[in-house]
Amino acid sequence: MAEGGRNRGGNSRKRDRRHDDDGEPERHGHQQKRRREESTSSKIRRMMLNIAASDKLPQDEAQDIARLLGESLDDEAAMTEFFDTLVQLIIEQPFRIPHVAAVAFFANDDKPEITAQAVKRVGTKTQEMLRTGQWTEFKLLLRFLACLQSLYNDDGVFTLLNQLFDTIVDLQSANENDVVGLELVKIILLTIPYAVASAGSTSHGKASELLEKTGIVAANRLPIESLVELYVADSTEKPFPYYSAIGMLQTQLEREAELGWKFACIPRFARYIPRKLGDAEPMEFASQLHAFPSFAVPSPVNPGTKLLFPEAYFSLYADTPDFETVPKTTDIAASLLRDAIVDTINQLDFNRDAAARTLVELDNFWALPTFAPRGTPPDKLEEIAPRVPGWTEGQTLWKSEDMIIDAIFSQLLKLPGPEHKLVYYHALITESCKIAPAAIAPSLGRAIRFVYGGIDILDLELVHRFCDWFSHHLSNFEFRWRWQEWTENLEHSPLHPKKAFIIAALDKEIRLSFAKRIRTTVPKEYHPLIPAAMDEDKSPDFKYENPQTPFSPEGVALLHQIRKKAPDSEIQETIDKIHKQALEQGIVDVLVPSTDAFVTAICRLGSKSLSHVLSCIERGKERLMSIANTSETARRQVVASVVEYWKDQPGIAVNIIDKLINYQILQPSTVIEWALVDHLGAGDPLTKDWVFELVYNTIAKVTSRTRQIVTARLQKGLPQEQIKLVDDELTKDRERSRELFKLIADSISGVAEGSADGLIEKETSGELTAEEGQFIREWAKRWHMVFVRKAQVEESVVGEEAVDARIRLLALEPELEPEPEAMVEGNGVAEDVANVDEEML
Amino acid sequence: MPAVRGPRSTVERLDKPSSYASSKRRRFNRDDEERGRERSPSFEDKLKEATTLYVGNLSFYTTEEQIHELFSKCGEIKRLVMGLDRFQKTPCGFCFVEYYNHQDALDCMKYIGGTKLDERVVRTDLDEGFAEGRQYGRGKSGGQVRDEYRQEYDPGRGGFGRALADDYGEERDYR
Repeated sequence: MAEGGRNRGGNSRKRDRRHDDDGEPERHGHQQKRRREESTSSKIRRMMLNIAASDKLPQDEAQDIARLLGESLDDEAAMTEFFDTLVQLIIEQPFRIPHVAAVAFFANDDKPEITAQAVKRVGTKTQEMLRTGQWTEFKLLLRFLACLQSLYNDDGVFTLLNQLFDTIVDLQSANENDVVGLELVKIILLTIPYAVASAGSTSHGKASELLEKTGIVAANRLPIESLVELYVADSTEKPFPYYSAIGMLQTQLEREAELGWKFACIPRFARYIPRKLGDAEPMEFASQLHAFPSFAVPSPVNPGTKLLFPEAYFSLYADTPDFETVPKTTDIAASLLRDAIVDTINQLDFNRDAAARTLVELDNFWALPTFAPRGTPPDKLEEIAPRVPGWTEGQTLWKSEDMIIDAIFSQLLKLPGPEHKLVYYHALITESCKIAPAAIAPSLGRAIRFVYGGIDILDLELVHRFCDWFSHHLSNFEFRWRWQEWTENLEHSPLHPKKAFIIAALDKEIRLSFAKRIRTTVPKEYHPLIPAAMDEDKSPDFKYENPQTPFSPEGVALLHQIRKKAPDSEIQETIDKIHKQALEQGIVDVLVPSTDAFVTAICRLGSKSLSHVLSCIERGKERLMSIANTSETARRQVVASVVEYWKDQPGIAVNIIDKLINYQILQPSTVIEWALVDHLGAGDPLTKDWVFELVYNTIAKVTSRTRQIVTARLQKGLPQEQIKLVDDELTKDRERSRELFKLIADSISGVAEGSADGLIEKETSGELTAEEGQFIREWAKRWHMVFVRKAQVEESVVGEEAVDARIRLLALEPELEPEPEAMVEGNGVAEDVANVDEEML
Repeated sequence: MPAVRGPRSTVERLDKPSSYASSKRRRFNRDDEERGRERSPSFEDKLKEATTLYVGNLSFYTTEEQIHELFSKCGEIKRLVMGLDRFQKTPCGFCFVEYYNHQDALDCMKYIGGTKLDERVVRTDLDEGFAEGRQYGRGKSGGQVRDEYRQEYDPGRGGFGRALADDYGEERDYR
């Protein structure tokens, strides 16, 4: 793993990031000069952006900004800059919400109009997010308002939280699988701590009342919740049990209430309160109080554009018997920190470097001390704690690196899927490792071991994701991994989940690099998994060159003919020869051997690169199309031939098949039938990652097309005749993808139940041991689970009920002015659908 | 989150065209004005829907398959064009990757640009779209300009620069 290099760790606030990498003394001079000329508005922006990350205490920084604002009330540009930056910071950098709220809090002493304006500006934005169903942004803006709870002359955020709860009741009684209500409960529960931290004991009663109400909803287990479980449901020894994120949150809050509502990790900002000399009681100091803005909760609630599902809470490090490196699942800090870290990750996806830096500096943004100094090893946490300023007896200081990796992995392993493309989370881990290699790498190593340890009962889609991340990650760090740790697993049968993982990971590494290179990175025990044949810089053998291969002369002839672009009639002659002989040999479908020869020749000719094979396919496109349209078995033979030719590099086969679908030479159903019927055998192909990849990608292609049609249908102002067009298309597509899901489920369940002929045959003949048979059944069960979930997830997006609900919402939205431009857009929709057709299927 | 002109972000966005791409736009626009031609659709407009990326700093030995393996993590690839030495017709260390969707190209800028492929840090830039001819290196000896005058030994890119004496100034290596 990434080791060595520069470590930016250290827990000291006496750092100035701006000068960290700077060896030139001159630059300081420049900067000072620049600062003298700096306008107030850019100064305010800079101070806001750097709050809690410079060499000053956040408390002082907040007061400085408040003071500067007070002096700049007449500077319109400066005030605009402040409010714009404020709103943007809340949305993009959730760690800083308490700190920027402190600015408004301190400003209230001298210039309450600034605070009033901040509450108003943020309130307006909050309402907008509530109206449009942008839940993350809504939650974060609301958090800012909650951090000022002590400054309201009414119930403050609790008014809105109670309004939200009433909405939840309506939603839940209308639909047992309602997820919008769950999202709102989560928002309520995650807002309470910040309000209580601000208002103290005056808010305890209101918080308790609310908590009593949310209890029933939060504890309720939804039928669809089983879709998001990470581990096979009936396995006995799960590495981490299933927790519903909101169920856990509710329990943690109830516990925190018993402990006196401490919320120790949330940073507090105390106001300086003047005292009379010799008097223990502080002077009366009346703050200017403000009215909490009023909000309208739309009815029906706009669910927003992001897919909502119940959330599982998953941790790699929590509740382990050895060291407490992250909060226990009973501790509210577990949820508060996780929530803020995950939001930071997802909101800052547009700059992974900034995201990683913010994460690495996690400890700067929370109450002191919440974390041990950066890079403290797990076994030293307890020892070091008493030396950390502010530590109190009995307090556990957590390991910030574990918190970061835990949160990123919670996204990488989130079902049905995280907010951004998986590769973002890959890149974020890479970036974090680059910024703080010595601190992060050990945590990452423990994460890998934890996931690998439970890989046999991990959801198969997640195994696939983990493998993809693991190989990609290593490719960024010279492929360094302690493979010797897993050497003993090489003795297992290739059907064993751990061995299968190793095989898959090496294959993926090779795809990103090359065989010879990867061999140098693994111990010699692994070398048999990387056959020497893969080293040679040459194309796989063309089987027809071997005279023993049936139809050898014809195969060789076809290769020649395609290479020299012979006229179609010549090629047909050769094919006819194959047909004639095949007929004599009693082969039922003569197109099968001729297709094999033709496709294998294309693969051989195009073996140099992807572009080569694509141009060969294009040359043979008409013939391939006609084969596909004539015979079902020959159609599947196309897939079989590609896979056979590239058997040592299945990744290339998967890729070529994908392109053949794009050319509409292959139908998605053909690929799935080949993989899960023709090629299924005793079920052993189910252990291969590339087979999973092939089926998974094919299904993804189908579902993404259906989703595109739904998006087209949900455009505002679609003319009536196009609605009909799109609806018809959608109905057809929806049915097609349902059939595919059914095909997958049917083929696999036979193996899972052990009733598949191929499996029974090999088990009775002794070709498969009882243990191996059991492995295969387990694999099949896991496959089944993945695709049943995918089918259900798709139903929740493109199913009749889901689409109808969206259409009803669309109708409720205010009508747009019939601008000419809107018409143009409307026309574009049908075109889009047409394009999809050409490109996808 | 698409890169629309909204409120100013608190940190820079990584899915914006590079300064090279912008300077190229200025150059083009100036040329157009001088010739009194009507302006072609502005560079920004083209990039607003860009689905193509220029990818640089590849090793000469990196294959299409490797590129595909990495770049398809951001979305389905429509077309991949390898950059070739103008004379030898061998890879010379850059390529164009075209996606079906604009968002995939932006995501690629954010998530793949600056990470490693074949153990080299690759550079990505939004591109207005591939045109025939652009796949060839523009250096004097057929490869990319940057490899003409490179002083460091780079085994992945043909050793030392091929024409150290030639000074192409700040001119970059693709059109």
